[in-house]
Amino acid sequence: MNPIAPAQINHESTLYAEPVAYVHGFPITNALITSWVAVIVIIALSVGLRATMKKVPGKLQHLFEVILEGGLNLADQVTGSRKVTQKVFPIAISIFFFVLINNWLGILPFGAFGVLQPAAEGYNFIPFLRSGTADINSTLALAIVSVIGSNIFGVLVIGVWKTFNKYVNLKALAGIVKKVRKDPSVLLVAPVMFFVGVLELVGELAKVASLSFRLFGNVFAGEVLLASMTVLLAYGLPIPFLFLEIMVGLIQALIFSMLTLVYFTIASQDHDEHEEGSHGHAAVETHA
Amino acid sequence: MDSLISTFHIDWKLMVAQLINFAVVIIVLWIFALKPLKKLMDERGATIAGGLDNAKLQEELLAKQKEDYDAALAEARAKAAAMMKETKKEVETVRADLMQKAQADVTTAIESGKKQLESEKQKMVEEAKKEIVALVMSATEKVLGDVAVGKVDTKLVEESIKNI
Repeated sequence: MNPIAPAQINHESTLYAEPVAYVHGFPITNALITSWVAVIVIIALSVGLRATMKKVPGKLQHLFEVILEGGLNLADQVTGSRKVTQKVFPIAISIFFFVLINNWLGILPFGAFGVLQPAAEGYNFIPFLRSGTADINSTLALAIVSVIGSNIFGVLVIGVWKTFNKYVNLKALAGIVKKVRKDPSVLLVAPVMFFVGVLELVGELAKVASLSFRLFGNVFAGEVLLASMTVLLAYGLPIPFLFLEIMVGLIQALIFSMLTLVYFTIASQDHDEHEEGSHGHAAVETHA
Repeated sequence: MDSLISTFHIDWKLMVAQLINFAVVIIVLWIFALKPLKKLMDERGATIAGGLDNAKLQEELLAKQKEDYDAALAEARAKAAAMMKETKKEVETVRADLMQKAQADVTTAIESGKKQLESEKQKMVEEAKKEIVALVMSATEKVLGDVAVGKVDTKLVEESIKNI
């Protein structure tokens, strides 16, 4: 058996997570392995926290208390109410930790550990660890949770009919029959309102795309950047970029969880009431 | 769409696997760790708030007690001052009475002393006179000898002594 020459090994950054192994046809990708590690880390932290939880906090508990308190206050600023925050916060904080640990695990210097897989020309090196969020499947799954979850939350808070009318505005169409005699302009406004509803529906799909591709793009770009810097000069040069990626990982996790909070908050608001409220306010101002 | 799926290797099985991972994270992180932690923080907050309220209450109570104490102290001081004044007045009266009584006693004692002295003086003079009579008679008898013995008139001598 001939030893493999380094020149035969391809180190390529692929857009997708590469399978390290297959179990009954199910691909175990390096991103999935990293996600499992992230889950194990979170479980270990949670167990450690629960085991040492007491009224006078230790270091770990204190850290989590600061994060929890800060997170709740930040979420209050987004939702505008502690009641909504308490309902949405568990999802947002879980997304934050899951994304953050996945992002940071991706920049750990374990890129040298992996498997060689035969390719058309030589061998492809597949590292065991690739940030879980550098795989579109992970970010897409989280984005779907965020967007579908927000709509389910909307249904629970404002009801099925109002949520449905946000996208298929039957109320606006029905308004034509009711208001056409009083206000003929409704003939023009109602179809526009209906079309806005359709745009909202498209907007929901855009939310999924923007959430998932933003996170994927940032994290994947970071990994490529680090790999490129390492190739240029392995000693010293990647260090500032490592710090940059630590910050990017934190910021992206924060953005994803904050946007989730925003989507949940928007979904829980009744647009009709809001509009009526603003009309009422305008009327008061006119009288004044 | 197909090119997007093939380019990014979008695989529903991997998405489901990631969803399961996320579900585990929510369950473990929130239900097992952060929810109890939040409960603990709320309890601690409530304890601190209760403690602060209690401290405020105690402070108010203390202020009221201090006020009552000051009022009681002022009243006691006023009473004590009045009592002192009264006592001084009484003492002054008693002292004046005592002084008066003492003066009277002294005067009485002096008078009594004077009287006693006078009486003693009289008594002494009487005795001295008697002594002188006896002495004079004895001297006369010695001078006159047997002639005059028994003949000297005692009565005469006494009258003579009286006239001295």
